Amino acid sequence: MLLLVTTVAACGDGKDDGAKASAPKAPATIPELTKDPLTLSFIWFDWPPAQALETFANAEYKKERPNATIKVNTVPNANWHDAMFTQFAARKTDFDIAILDSQHIGEAVTNGNILDLTDFVKNNIEVTAYNPYLLAAYGQFPQAETGKRDENASLYGLPLLGDTWTMIYRKDLIGDKPPQTWDQMISAAEKCQADNPGVSGLAFHQANGSDAAAVTYNTVNGVYGGNLWDAKNRKIDGVLNDAAGQEAMDVLVNKMKPLTAKGSGNWFIDEVNAAVAQGKACIAFNWIAASGGLLDPKQSTLGTTREQILDKLGFATLPSQKTNLVPLGGMGMHVSAYSAAANQAEALNFMKWFERADVQKKWAAAGGVPSRTDALQSPEFLNAGPFNKVYADSVPRMRDMWNVPEYARLVDIENTNVNAALNGAKKPKDALDDIAKEQQSVLDSSNRKGGGGL
Amino acid sequence: MKDPAPLTTDHPGQVVSATPPAPGRSRRLSDRGLAVAFISPAMLLLLAMSVFPLLWSLYLSFTDYSATRGGPANFIGFGNYTAILTSAQVHTRALTTLIYVIGAVGLQTVLGFGIAYLISRRTHGRGVLTTLFLVPMMLSPVVVGLFWRFMLDAQFGVVNSMLSSVGLGQVEWLTRQRTALISLIVVDTWQWTPFIMLIALAGLSAVPKYLYEAASIDRASEWFRFRTITLPLVWPLLLIAVMFRAIEAFRLFDLVYILTNGGPGVSTETLSFHIYKVAFLGFNTGTASAYGILMVLVVIVLTQFYLRYLNKLKEG
Repeated sequence: MLLLVTTVAACGDGKDDGAKASAPKAPATIPELTKDPLTLSFIWFDWPPAQALETFANAEYKKERPNATIKVNTVPNANWHDAMFTQFAARKTDFDIAILDSQHIGEAVTNGNILDLTDFVKNNIEVTAYNPYLLAAYGQFPQAETGKRDENASLYGLPLLGDTWTMIYRKDLIGDKPPQTWDQMISAAEKCQADNPGVSGLAFHQANGSDAAAVTYNTVNGVYGGNLWDAKNRKIDGVLNDAAGQEAMDVLVNKMKPLTAKGSGNWFIDEVNAAVAQGKACIAFNWIAASGGLLDPKQSTLGTTREQILDKLGFATLPSQKTNLVPLGGMGMHVSAYSAAANQAEALNFMKWFERADVQKKWAAAGGVPSRTDALQSPEFLNAGPFNKVYADSVPRMRDMWNVPEYARLVDIENTNVNAALNGAKKPKDALDDIAKEQQSVLDSSNRKGGGGL
Repeated sequence: MKDPAPLTTDHPGQVVSATPPAPGRSRRLSDRGLAVAFISPAMLLLLAMSVFPLLWSLYLSFTDYSATRGGPANFIGFGNYTAILTSAQVHTRALTTLIYVIGAVGLQTVLGFGIAYLISRRTHGRGVLTTLFLVPMMLSPVVVGLFWRFMLDAQFGVVNSMLSSVGLGQVEWLTRQRTALISLIVVDTWQWTPFIMLIALAGLSAVPKYLYEAASIDRASEWFRFRTITLPLVWPLLLIAVMFRAIEAFRLFDLVYILTNGGPGVSTETLSFHIYKVAFLGFNTGTASAYGILMVLVVIVLTQFYLRYLNKLKEG
């Protein structure tokens, strides 16, 4: 048995999100692998990269491990967190590798749901091959400072799919050169909307589900020099809603929202893509990993070939303003603590294989977004899609949200309030102040006797 | 020669079989035992799936237990209950739920009874009409939610398309505070009006014809007949339908989840939806259990008042 010894979870005092981590340790070396047929199961949400991973892994990993079959189970995006953590709660999972959002790591680690891979990584992974922040973002807990990695911190996951937002713009409507600053972007969208009736200036995520509206606000917050929190002192109230935060909310609600389509207040990934594909938006923001479909002539009214579509659509890194920060997306692979020993061993072997330089390049060619620097700079990656260079250029600019155990509640508070502000249910300032106050109370309420979660 | 076995006993109605019991059936299994044997699987299932979880929830509601964090369930008395009852967040959701219940059930009652009344007056095509009206009720709420979400889409939805064809502007059905709640009420009404209609139709069919005949002889007006014969006789049955619908509407979750996800902001978050968030976003199992128990209590207490009123009505 690989992992029977699990230290008792003692989270709940709320003083330090990292000190009480209780994840069981993975072995430093990969145990002997089974020769029997084995299915290695993943859990992810339903989107194109999930299908790409299953196809890629079954084609390539099987060459090395013919007895292993890869199965990527998917659930709707809105149920992704629930699907994983309800199984973790039952201490029994039907998946061996959980593909967690970087922000889920704290919750999974403190509950002892995933393996501590620190020793395994030391012995099996070439850590210097990565941008340190990418390695930290998808695996480190306690959370790394933006742009850095703490080499003494524990690692609980390895990168699977990198991602960030790309700006998608209509070259035929606003010109070949993308706007360089946020102000320029808003002006270009304004002019484009006025010049092209029926086409809205902007399209971006506004829904109150998943992390849609929250990521949108956090992106604008970063660009306008705001901060989400003071991680060291666990302080949100007074930080998020400072002058920079207020300015960001004002820009989002009063300058950007009026340029969006009517009724777009519940748009997320698919709706933004649909608006772009149907030629209904001048400038849009979406995750790179979800943008592949935009080049499919069958799904687009912008052209009958990929080339025709690319004549009209441009992909660029996000404009900067006071800073050049962009949101960190993507996910890492994490081994379930409740998986069978043979499957855990296979999972570790898969992860070691997946992080190899040659495999990362093949993953890039198959449509994935790798994390190793050599793969990111390879022609296989850069030539695979027009937005891949955007990702490569964005890596040094990335900032993540919090990955504390309370993440699910923090993001829900932010999502609902930003969504309320975008749809006129709250004044922008009130919404931001409410976010700060409610999030602070979540961080401070761990010692409360009763009523947790309200 | 022995007398043949009697075919009847002293107790009329009981027939004694002339043949011996079938082999294999234990003589020890009495009728009562047989009854218990047949009932016990269902009882065990009920105990395991309903009674035990309810009691377990009741226990957890007095603790700070979290399903994901594990660890011991520490007893905290009425802490969860006090927090829920004094929470402004809960009050907001309670008000939303109340508006929704009154709006949806009220509308369904008026429409359901109206449709039933009109159908009951038809002599031809009653069966076909009733069946057609029942179709929405047979659909899954998730399916209903999904296709109404498309129909109500502000950009591409058929509802706005129809409105614009008659010169009316686009309405943001699902993303504005007022219209979102109205949309929920409309969709729920579309699906569940047939339920009220069905019960009302049963009540209307049971009204004795001779009462109407007598009223006709007295040259009573249509309105008078409706007010003094139809409504009083159908009213108790209608109230039972209203009670069922109110209980259902009180615990609404699926339509909210699919149509608005509680938005914009939290303006269409119902109590059930809020419990879901408490239970599965923060995994505050103790709080969520107390929240659920309180909802059950509210339903039980209101139902008791309601049933008393119904009994009074019957006695009257």
